[in-house]
Amino acid sequence: MSTSPNRLLATIFGIVYVIIGIAGFFVTSDVGLLDTSGGLLLGIFEVNILHNIAHLLIGAALLIAGLSGVRASKTVNSVVGAAYLLLGIVGLFIVGSPFNILAINGADNVLHFGSAVLLLAVGLGAERSVKTAATA
Amino acid sequence: MNAVVRAWLGFFALGAGLIHLALVIGSPLVVGIPLLVAGIAEFAWGVFAFTASTVPFARAARIGAVIPILGWVLLLVLVGAGSVPGVRVIPMLVASLLDLAVAIAITVLLRRGEREQKPLASGRYLLGLGLGALAVAALTTPALAATEAGDFAVPHGTQSEAPYDLDLPDGHSGH
Repeated sequence: MSTSPNRLLATIFGIVYVIIGIAGFFVTSDVGLLDTSGGLLLGIFEVNILHNIAHLLIGAALLIAGLSGVRASKTVNSVVGAAYLLLGIVGLFIVGSPFNILAINGADNVLHFGSAVLLLAVGLGAERSVKTAATA
Repeated sequence: MNAVVRAWLGFFALGAGLIHLALVIGSPLVVGIPLLVAGIAEFAWGVFAFTASTVPFARAARIGAVIPILGWVLLLVLVGAGSVPGVRVIPMLVASLLDLAVAIAITVLLRRGEREQKPLASGRYLLGLGLGALAVAALTTPALAATEAGDFAVPHGTQSEAPYDLDLPDGHSGH
């Protein structure tokens, strides 16, 4: 696994996002599922219950893919990367609005955008000779 | 090392493209259309740069990266900073810096040559990409928020300008 950038990235991000998801519940004890304002992780990143659940699910998907193999990692990295890019863009519009059901703040947007381009760059760019599941 | 620089090229181009696209909102058509074209081209080229094994259309891309910068400088000279609605200085400055980074990186790669080098260890490759991704995200996200499109996030006239609601009780303390 250590020789595959996709597997390494998926595994590391998977573990990190699972930890972030769990840690998020410790700062959202009095926050609702869809509250537009929430608790702050590390004093910077705002989360609510739905946001924590999303982190857990994304982390689990990445971790499972990372442990499975290169093809799975490439696919999940690319898909999650694209989803985070969309979320980063949408996040700019919903911050401070009633539609902010993930309680996203500016720092979240930076993290989502950064994660997105990294996942996309590795998922699309690294190990291109390995066919993805779609082309197998 | 070239693989890391190519990925950074993609990051720079994506960032500049997103900012240019965000600046279309609120801009007059004569400026909005070139911004739209530049944004789409930069975004598409950035994604393409991730997937290609060499810098795609390197020489043309280097010229293409400089054109939005020259266009903005021309606008500044003709009508002055801040005089064109929607085309705000900070986002345009950040987008221009990212475009400049694209042009410089392509020049470095062309001089170094695109011959295949020994592949980097995965850890170092990811670290190089991670640093680039974080740097571009840290620059691009606030620049996007500073565009007129970013203004739509907080409706005008609401009591809270903060990026999140603190859910404070109405009324001021001490009254």
